[in-house]
Amino acid sequence: MVHGPLGMLDALMVALSGFVIVFLMLALLWGLILVISRAIAGIERHPQPVHHPAAAPSAPLSNGAPAAPAAVPVALEGVDELQAACIMAIVSHQTGIPLEQLVFRSIKAL
Amino acid sequence: MQFSFFGALQEILAGSGFAALAEDPRKLVMILIAFVLLYLGIGKKFEPLLLVPIAFGMLLSNFPITGLLNPPVGGSSPGMLWVFYQGVEHAIYPSIIFLGIGAMTDFGPLIARPSSLLLGAAAQLGIFAAFLLALALGFPEAVAAAIGIIGGADGPTAILVASRLARDYLPAIAIAAYSYMALIPMIQPPLMRMLTTQKEREIKMEQLRPVSKAEKIIFPIAVATVVILLIPDTAPLIGMLMLGNLLRECGVTERLSDTAQNALCNIVTIFLGLSVGCKAVADTFLTWETIKIIALGLIAFTFSTCGGLIFGKVMCKLTGGKVNPLIGSAGVSAVPMAARVSQVEGQKANPANFLLMHAMGPNVAGVIGSAVAAGFMLKVFGA
Repeated sequence: MVHGPLGMLDALMVALSGFVIVFLMLALLWGLILVISRAIAGIERHPQPVHHPAAAPSAPLSNGAPAAPAAVPVALEGVDELQAACIMAIVSHQTGIPLEQLVFRSIKAL
Repeated sequence: MQFSFFGALQEILAGSGFAALAEDPRKLVMILIAFVLLYLGIGKKFEPLLLVPIAFGMLLSNFPITGLLNPPVGGSSPGMLWVFYQGVEHAIYPSIIFLGIGAMTDFGPLIARPSSLLLGAAAQLGIFAAFLLALALGFPEAVAAAIGIIGGADGPTAILVASRLARDYLPAIAIAAYSYMALIPMIQPPLMRMLTTQKEREIKMEQLRPVSKAEKIIFPIAVATVVILLIPDTAPLIGMLMLGNLLRECGVTERLSDTAQNALCNIVTIFLGLSVGCKAVADTFLTWETIKIIALGLIAFTFSTCGGLIFGKVMCKLTGGKVNPLIGSAGVSAVPMAARVSQVEGQKANPANFLLMHAMGPNVAGVIGSAVAAGFMLKVFGA
């Protein structure tokens, strides 16, 4: 693309263009990721009916507890985030229950 | 026929490598440099997985009259190292290493906070700054472009670009790139402290959102499609990086992912190191240009780190203090060492700070950014 020796001004232009192109390309990827994430979130919000009655824990909660407890933040008392993450991982590993199916309401240091 | 033991001994010595060394003492200097690099790799643990094979390749290729680097002439067999070097010449090894990197990399933090991509872009500043400085120092354009890529802090990318644009300078560029990558924990922290305030370093970032499996599977396919279609010269690097990541994330190719991450990557690392080292011969290595390249490499790393940090500060301001600018320095590739440095510096400022996962976003964005910059340089200066 470049033929012959570059003058300093041309070299500056090449460097500037290169830097801008890297920025534009990664900004484009940012947009792409947002589109993909939103599309997938949209699909997951309206799931297709699944025919696995045995695997679907859809029984209503008897005491009318609020749905989606996973969104409730975990109350930490006397433990930091790293320790809490370790405890959650250990509980998940020991019980064999995936983390996304476990609900932690609080973790308290004794 | 008369046979003399001492005559035979004299003949063996006269035809030995020791005698040939006396004819060209520069080879001896190269052998000593190889010893120093072996010491740095083994004794100081500077990127030993690469530096040890590189140093040993340098050692082997500087032993005289071995014929290890001889190309095939007529019906003769080529030298072993010449055969190995074809993998660099044709961009095979760097691409396979990228396959392994892709298989080892979790792009989840980047998908969770895609704005990190801009930090990865800003941290490519050193590539273009070093390119300009190399031109000012009198290097030809293509060589300057290859030298600049050291600023991406990405060994395979630097090797690929140097093998295409600056073959004679490949060993110096590769050694500079890997040496400075090993020195990141020493190079970056002073710059991080200089360019950020205590208050900025103390910023605790919000937890990243969970990323779904579908997002992680679609990401490598989408990135490969868009980036390669826009800049086809990035195909070997981005293509293999994203294939490796797809093998990791798709969930049905565990064996391939495991091979790419471990066995294949390790095998190719041996060949890559030997091939790079074997090109370090006195004619091209023992020159002022090598010293200039080493100096330019340091400048490139410095500029890249500063670029990431300054953009981190911009993002900090724009988000009302939600982004800790320390994660900006992780925008230089060097996965995961640069992210670890951000974590360490963040915790020094605020022991409750956990920046590692936040820094992994710009860190892996830097890998993509340096591959894009390399593709740009190849497009502009390639034959």
